[in-house]
Amino acid sequence: MKPFKENDEKLKKALMVAYHAKEKAEVGEGWQMKVMNRIRNLGPLPEQTDYFTLFGQAVWRFAPAACVLIVALTLFLVKLDFIPEYELLNSLMSNPAEFTLEQLFPV
Amino acid sequence: MLNDSDRFSDVDIIHRVINGDVNAFEFLLKKYREHVLRIVSRHIPYQETEEIAEDVFVRAYQSLPTFKQKSGFKQWLSGIAVRTCHDFWRKQYRSRELPMSSLSEKHQDWLEHTISDQSSDSFNEHSSQKEARELLDWALERLSAEERMVIELVYLEGLSVKEAGGLLGWSTANVKVRSFRSRKKLEKILKKSMEKKGEEA
Repeated sequence: MKPFKENDEKLKKALMVAYHAKEKAEVGEGWQMKVMNRIRNLGPLPEQTDYFTLFGQAVWRFAPAACVLIVALTLFLVKLDFIPEYELLNSLMSNPAEFTLEQLFPV
Repeated sequence: MLNDSDRFSDVDIIHRVINGDVNAFEFLLKKYREHVLRIVSRHIPYQETEEIAEDVFVRAYQSLPTFKQKSGFKQWLSGIAVRTCHDFWRKQYRSRELPMSSLSEKHQDWLEHTISDQSSDSFNEHSSQKEARELLDWALERLSAEERMVIELVYLEGLSVKEAGGLLGWSTANVKVRSFRSRKKLEKILKKSMEKKGEEA
């Protein structure tokens, strides 16, 4: 006899033939009615509330408006020549209300 | 003459079912009944086929809201059918009583004859398919539910690793590893039964 491995393909073929020759079950109309009765007993499918999807839809609905707002604010700030650090320093240096740095930032 | 299942696409019918028309599911049941029975018959003992096929359609009905149109309804339903068969074997194996019967002499003879030096037609000439099927069932019984399913899909049905993975809901790598291990285990089981016979003789 040849070693087991060498005959693997032969055995595989034989087992495949046997596997595919297995009889296919036949069902009648009664079976179909039984399945439909079980499904009818389950009732209509519940409406799925997928909160993640709903959240995603809500967020994307506002996305164009948010983009327009960001662009408008950026243009507005550029036009104003607004630099936050500069503006803060300017307000401290000019000290219009005669405040000292010590009064502003008490130690 | 066209009936409703021909006039409407699967997607139309699915939408009707999801929107509350439970009876519309019967079109899908009628259309895919044979397909599901073919899958279930291959994996499950004959006497259990009807019940498992019923479970497949009930599971499909309950899962309809999660159906994505990417792969098509038939492919999606095939996946449910294969996974239902897998679940059946998991339950069966959990309640399995040990020890399992040993291989009978006629099956050992069949195995010896098949892998002997004779022509490849020897199987058809000298052996009955019944014995081969019984031997296969005997060997598959000794594998786990996962091993059994992967062997049946990849080794016996000849599906690609990707196709088997799609049906079982496993990654390609997982199917590759499991199919390799299962095949080795099956080989070992059959080899052991042959050796046993040799020792007895």
